[in-house]
Amino acid sequence: MSSLVSRRAMLAGGGAIAASLATGVAAERILPSAMIPLIGPGYRPIDVDERGLWQQYARVEEEIAGSNLLIKDPALTAYLRDLIGKVGGPAAKDMRIYLARIPDFNAVMFPTGFAVVFSGLLLRMRNEAQLAGVIAHESGHFLRKHQLRQWRDQRRKTDIFSILAVGAGVAGAGVGIYTGQIAQLGQLGTILSLLQYNRTLEAEADAMGARLLAENGYPPIEMANTWQQLIDEEKLSAKYRRKRYHRDISLLSTHPAPESRMADLRISASELTVPGRAYDNGRARYLAAIADIRPMLLDDQVKLNDPGASQYIIDTLAKDGWNGLLRFYEAEIWRLRNRAGDDLRAAQGYAAALAYPDAPADAWRWHGLMLMKQGHAAESRAALSHYLAMKPNAPDAAFVRQMLMEPNR
Amino acid sequence: MRAVGLALAASLMLSACVQTRQYADLQFTPPQGDYKLIVMRPDVSVGSVTTGGMVEPRADWTETSRANLIAALKTQQAGRGGNVRVLARRDELANVSADTVAELERLHGAVGNSIALHKYLGAYLPTKRRRGLEYTLGADAVRFGQATGYDYALFLYAEDSFASSGRVALGVVGLAGCFIGFCAPMGGGGQFAYASLVDLRTGEVVWFNVLQTGSQVAGIKFGDIRTPEGSAQMVERLLGRMKPGRDVQRATDAKK
Repeated sequence: MSSLVSRRAMLAGGGAIAASLATGVAAERILPSAMIPLIGPGYRPIDVDERGLWQQYARVEEEIAGSNLLIKDPALTAYLRDLIGKVGGPAAKDMRIYLARIPDFNAVMFPTGFAVVFSGLLLRMRNEAQLAGVIAHESGHFLRKHQLRQWRDQRRKTDIFSILAVGAGVAGAGVGIYTGQIAQLGQLGTILSLLQYNRTLEAEADAMGARLLAENGYPPIEMANTWQQLIDEEKLSAKYRRKRYHRDISLLSTHPAPESRMADLRISASELTVPGRAYDNGRARYLAAIADIRPMLLDDQVKLNDPGASQYIIDTLAKDGWNGLLRFYEAEIWRLRNRAGDDLRAAQGYAAALAYPDAPADAWRWHGLMLMKQGHAAESRAALSHYLAMKPNAPDAAFVRQMLMEPNR
Repeated sequence: MRAVGLALAASLMLSACVQTRQYADLQFTPPQGDYKLIVMRPDVSVGSVTTGGMVEPRADWTETSRANLIAALKTQQAGRGGNVRVLARRDELANVSADTVAELERLHGAVGNSIALHKYLGAYLPTKRRRGLEYTLGADAVRFGQATGYDYALFLYAEDSFASSGRVALGVVGLAGCFIGFCAPMGGGGQFAYASLVDLRTGEVVWFNVLQTGSQVAGIKFGDIRTPEGSAQMVERLLGRMKPGRDVQRATDAKK
């Protein structure tokens, strides 16, 4: 009995694998012009399942809105609200946006139209257009009703799978074949097809986002640049950790591979760019908006102790010009890694930071401490005095004053 | 194989049931007489089980059930002499800000998770064996009690789900298969609820109960909180048989 069953099961299994492979093949690029928003201003849920979803997420939003992880700086939150109000399409005025202090490259849109942006995203964006691109992508999820469509897709596919599995089981039992293995392959096929649907929706949000970006006068190519930055950052992070750059197995991934997204976005961008039209990436506006929290963003990042990623981020931001803040945090990467020779690199970095007028007080502090270690007492005192002059109420001010009073160290 | 399938189906059908398990502080005496109780924003969610087994939340059912549960809770507590107030929103209290209510809720969420993990999910702690419920929300809960004037706070969570007609039909096919050797009984719908009582004079979680109902046959239900009777039944199962702590129980037994 067993050989017969297993052969049949194998044949059926082969079919299932072939079918699932077919669903996993990279989808064709979705045209930005095909992306019409499915909802208008003031949208409310109509169908029973969507009303249920909205009710559930009302409580989630309340929880998030009151979270102590949120950065509540009024000027910055107003800036983000204006930005989603600009690139959010027809629902722009209905969407809410929250900024969470999480040092990671991410943003999430919830089915009721509120988005959570991670602070790590603000750190990595070189200009307003890049940030607007991510926000427009997230808005695309809401405008195209993605969460609802995904829920319905999942419901439909699990329904079909259950009916087929039970049907096949009963039919198989009737003729004396055990169908458990086939059912398992069917389950894998269902999961793969769910993930495939997810990737399609991500590609839709990319296309919708690129379109919203271009329509609002931002260079659409910045979306592709964002992806390029993410890929390169992950590569350098892996290299510093002596790991291979991790590539998701695309069949099992919820998001399309960054490489293929980037390629699609490049084509979409050239399609959307109108020759002769002036595009503004809003860099000055962006830097002014995040100026107050930028030291905190950099500080959170370097403390992750992911030197490859931190180095890449700082180098990328420095493409628009080095300054004292970036030089200081570059030095911090090496001081915190603390391998042989890193102290020297850090010392050079602190010294380099001081050449810029915006060098933070802590750069003077660490410069002074590094000089002291190297035995340059007089220079060290000068630097530490400068630190105290800049930050007389620093937490360690009394300690530093004490050091300055000790003779001949 | 056929026989095994049948036996499995029978045992699964027998396992369909209503379960509660409660823990109390050793010195716990169930509130009696003229006490003041505040119910912290009951979290209720009711949905329908799709053919494939997912639970689809239903806004209308949830609203009805929440209203029914609150009404049933008020009736039940009034019977014990209690003065009950149900908090619907976080910003309803005069002396306490919405943020403070939120923080107390989150604190309880964390403590409740520990109770679930160490008392119900199997990660039992050797140091806590036979010691009843030894958890506290600490000074925050005491301050909350002082500011509001309540003696107890009750945290309540309830979910209920109902098999859709597709799920019931599939369950029937799966069960019918048992007779030819393919047994696929399918659960569909059931209740899960917990209640947690905090003594606001000490900050301690003095009593905790978990209720679970469910069957392996889609369509068979043990209560329906969408109806007033079903809600009253759940409240009775969850809070009706509140037992005193072990020390208190022994003292009363000794007197007899």
